[in-house]
Amino acid sequence: MKTNILGIYEDEDVLLHAIDKLQADGIVVADVYSPFPIHGIWSRLKLTTRLPYATFVYGAVGAVAIFMMLYWMSVVSYPLKFGGKPLNTLSFIIIMFVGTIFIGTLLTFLTYLGREKMFPGKQVVLPDPRSTEDKFVLVIANTEDMNDQETKHLMKMLKETGATEIKESTVNDHE
Amino acid sequence: MYNTRVRGILIKGNKTYSDVSRDVLRPLDAPTPIWWWVTAGLAIIAMAWGSWGFYNTISTGIGAWGLNNNVAWGYAIINFVWWIGIGHAGTAFSIFLLILRQKWRTSINRAAEAMTIFAVMAAGLFPLLHMGRIWDGFFIFPYWNTRGPLWDNFNSPLFWDVVAISTYFMASALFWYMGMIPDFATIRESTASKIKKKIYGAMSFGWIGNAKSWLRFETAALLLGGMAAPLVVSVHSIVSMDFSVSVVPGWHTTIFPPYFVIGAIFSGFGMVLTLMIILRKLYSFKDYVTDGHLDAITRILTFISLIMATAYMTELFTAWYSGSEYELFTFMKNRVTGDYTFAYWTMITCNAIIPQLFWFKAIRKNIAIVFIMSIFINIGMWFERYVIVVTSLSKDFLPATWATYSPTMTEVAAFVGTIGLFVLGVLAFFRWLPTIAISEVKGVLKETTTLKSFTDEN
Repeated sequence: MKTNILGIYEDEDVLLHAIDKLQADGIVVADVYSPFPIHGIWSRLKLTTRLPYATFVYGAVGAVAIFMMLYWMSVVSYPLKFGGKPLNTLSFIIIMFVGTIFIGTLLTFLTYLGREKMFPGKQVVLPDPRSTEDKFVLVIANTEDMNDQETKHLMKMLKETGATEIKESTVNDHE
Repeated sequence: MYNTRVRGILIKGNKTYSDVSRDVLRPLDAPTPIWWWVTAGLAIIAMAWGSWGFYNTISTGIGAWGLNNNVAWGYAIINFVWWIGIGHAGTAFSIFLLILRQKWRTSINRAAEAMTIFAVMAAGLFPLLHMGRIWDGFFIFPYWNTRGPLWDNFNSPLFWDVVAISTYFMASALFWYMGMIPDFATIRESTASKIKKKIYGAMSFGWIGNAKSWLRFETAALLLGGMAAPLVVSVHSIVSMDFSVSVVPGWHTTIFPPYFVIGAIFSGFGMVLTLMIILRKLYSFKDYVTDGHLDAITRILTFISLIMATAYMTELFTAWYSGSEYELFTFMKNRVTGDYTFAYWTMITCNAIIPQLFWFKAIRKNIAIVFIMSIFINIGMWFERYVIVVTSLSKDFLPATWATYSPTMTEVAAFVGTIGLFVLGVLAFFRWLPTIAISEVKGVLKETTTLKSFTDEN
């Protein structure tokens, strides 16, 4: 069975120092559960997201698609003149602008949910539920492969870096 | 050199992280208070009367309203623009203050966004009702039909309105909901009630709050916010184009888009102030929505009020400078003086003069006065829309068709009904949702600021 060791911290600054020290010691920090976003963590755990690129593509494709729709409807399908204005007019910009935002926003949100594998009613078990409240839970993965000496060293490191509580968890990683 | 400026704190009372969750979630677990039932009862009565107004309009037609050939837009459009303006607060608060890195927004943005949602709902009812044949309302959407196919007129500002407002509603609702996901998870993990655990658990979408999900969350929030920011500006610009693309004197001006956007943010912030004063009183949120927060909002309102005053003066100047006698007539003979003097000067007093009292610290610190002034702003902004819609239409180019407008009971009922809807929505939000963004407040618990509103307190 997969076992993780959790180091529970009380403060985000202590936690960030702890990650630095653990990593300097060669210990791999698998994950951190926290009640709010901590900006220093992402660079330390080398996490990135490509969400902005997706949004850009949605926006670009959306703008073109909406222009094509407007053009087809008012120039090709039913070319009806309103107030002597040209069929293909500059005022398409307004619908394109708003429509681009519509498509970009909706698809970005759906992509976010998709990547996070989140959906209404999904059941999850957290390694420690207090991580949604006031605790910062640092996860060291796959400790069942460690020998006694390594485990002892890890425990010592966690304690030294300020973990107020250390425990084992069999909850699988969510990534 | 040392930075000698005193730094003020954003959240008072030396809160711990768990204090924040406990304080914000306390009202969710408490029994429903009496004031809630009383207000909800009043709101439902208002909605019942409003339903009568809606029924009357739909069954009789627009003839149930006090409109005539000249003044073809009345209460419905006034109230529509008014509600949309109020609906600008949430996004303005969250997005602009996010971009301006104003961390104090975190205590207020959730409630402001909730307000946006309900205000936009209330606003959306009016154009729908104004269609007259509401059952044909779906004609507005471009869909493959058997009438040609006859597509929409994509050059019509009224169609732009539909697109802009539905997009605004969707974007604000997504942004609002997304912000609540981590807070729902907090409720899910901390509540003792099984039913609550199930409901809030389902609404939390299985949020886990690990490093990667926070990264994606922050990125997505910033992207949604970044896209909503131009939307805030464009929605009310488009609403203003309903007027300004016409040739009616008093409407046909290039100042309208910025004038409307600023007006919307002004009325939105006014309503935020009204609601936050009530919220912090009812739920004892004084440590979260501090006097500093209210002070910061009043300072913003003072500044926006100055812009409003500039816009009013610009309109008058342009009317004179344009040399157009119709413009000059509308502004000088039908607004500043004439039949609608009361509405015009109420607008000027409430929007341009009264908020200037916020220059005085004693007034900014007196919450009762601030509360009353915030209501005056809401009234003033309603009269602004009244002045714009009614004065211009009542006396246009052809004196033979001049007409006056007064609303019928049906119109008043519909307006009161939407107020009931808004109040009931806000009450539901107060009762069942986390009214302050828990995870965001936890993130700024240690933050300090050099903003004067917050340093003055120490």
